Amino acid sequence: MSRLGAAPIDDPLLRVEGLSVSFDTAMGRVRAAQDVCLDLLKGETLAIVGETGCGKSVVANSILQLIPGNASVQGRVIFSGRDLLSLSEREMAEIRGREIAIVFQNPSLALNPIIKAEEQIAEPLQIHSHLPRSLSIQMAKDMLRRLGLGVGGVAESFPFQLSGGMNQRVMIAAAMILSPRIIIADEPSKGLDRLLARQVAEELSGLRDKMDASLLLITHDLLLARDISDRISVMYSGEVVETGESQAVFDHPLHPYTKALLDCLPQRGFHPIPGASPSMIDPPGGCKFYPRCRYKHDKCMQRPDMTEKRCPNEGMDREVRCWLY
Amino acid sequence: MLAILKAENIGMTYESGLIIKKRHSIFQGISLEIEEGHTLGLIGPSGAGKTTLGMILAGLERPSSGCVLYRGEDIWKLKGINYLAYRRGVQMVFQDPEGSLNPRKSIERSIHEVLRYINIPQREWKDKARQALEMVGLSEELLCRYPGQISGGQSQRAALSRVLLLNPKVIILDEPTSALDISVQAQILVLLKDLQKNLGLAYLLISHQPEVIDFMAHNKAVLESGGIRHESILPQGGGARPDPL
Repeated sequence: MSRLGAAPIDDPLLRVEGLSVSFDTAMGRVRAAQDVCLDLLKGETLAIVGETGCGKSVVANSILQLIPGNASVQGRVIFSGRDLLSLSEREMAEIRGREIAIVFQNPSLALNPIIKAEEQIAEPLQIHSHLPRSLSIQMAKDMLRRLGLGVGGVAESFPFQLSGGMNQRVMIAAAMILSPRIIIADEPSKGLDRLLARQVAEELSGLRDKMDASLLLITHDLLLARDISDRISVMYSGEVVETGESQAVFDHPLHPYTKALLDCLPQRGFHPIPGASPSMIDPPGGCKFYPRCRYKHDKCMQRPDMTEKRCPNEGMDREVRCWLY
Repeated sequence: MLAILKAENIGMTYESGLIIKKRHSIFQGISLEIEEGHTLGLIGPSGAGKTTLGMILAGLERPSSGCVLYRGEDIWKLKGINYLAYRRGVQMVFQDPEGSLNPRKSIERSIHEVLRYINIPQREWKDKARQALEMVGLSEELLCRYPGQISGGQSQRAALSRVLLLNPKVIILDEPTSALDISVQAQILVLLKDLQKNLGLAYLLISHQPEVIDFMAHNKAVLESGGIRHESILPQGGGARPDPL
């Protein structure tokens, strides 16, 4: 099994090993994630980037066993010496929120519309820490104040009375209230305008620093990922194709897909990638990017493994899944 | 250069309240011109009224004041064949590609709907539908699929193919790529540029992304604080912003 993003220094806080997730549907078996390996180090932000449907959210949800019953999951997710995928629902309930918290991408769906913001933020304190309601509400208000929402009656408002950006901050407050060791932020900027998206991401990053937590950021916003993450993993069609230090991946992308994706950016002239992402039901054999790749050759018909590429000028080595390296 | 679609001193207000009525102004005194074969970029913050202005120009909303001129004539005074020419000549593509297509109809049936409207004989529908998809770079395999079975980028192309069947002169593009991934966004923008070059289309491109406007537009207008500000003309055909990466 290939290892991706192997921890350059200490042992990782979270290690995803050979994670493969598939769903049985009426149209066939959807291979949403294949042999995904990731390390999340203590205190770092790791961004998983890629296009819609490439499997980013499936990886994030699999870590917390939040995937539908028709899913078949293989591999291991090691956290505090335990494989999270082998834990019972009861054991997972102890970890969710307290140890690993998740901020979902659609706050208007993730928040209960008929419960006040302060109650929703305080709920994890009452469930996990058994704090009295009055104290937990006070702590919820303090957390909102730290996120700049201490005025204007936000705490006493219902989600439908708040804007998308405010609701996203309420979600962040609820996720951070138990000071988790890992925060998984699944597209925290989706649906927000650019300025607001950046503010939300910076707030998440700031809280991560204050609480000495690690952040797993799932996003399709490449510039946001570069600006707030330490390392980036690029996913394509269910596979991680490149992992490296964020700025280095932007400055010198190695995998042809990473290069093509960066060339789509407005700042690089909107050069589209020819063709479309492959079907997850009947993906091409060999390298999945092969049909769209401008560097393709005969060997690409076989599936490449993740290989480590020495990068003496960078802080850490690069991992890339391509026959060119 | 001839302005094909023109807004003259447009204002829009709306009323709120059930018992005590209150009037709110979205914008006032908006004038702009869309020239043949050119792109006017319309940019502004959320809630400034960009979509409302687009809908007024497309004839889907009536302004509270001012008028919209199509080839020099007030669109709300057009009748008969002139009205029909305007309705076909000015089309709109919306932000949410999946919401633009009926989820219960296959792509083929959605395209047939347009062909029926423009009185194309039924025996030609199959060929016309295939050609329409070809024009936007989609394969005919998609004809039998439903909107839920295709990607966002494919839905946006399918919506565009329906619009193109009407042989429009002006297309109002309301955030056509903001719901799409960066790679698909690049594909759609390049396609729109090619179509403009080949068919001589004029666009009003509504976007909150300055780089999209810079890439596509020949002229730029900023809608904010209830008014409009016309900004300097960009280099012909637009261009990419300097690379800050």
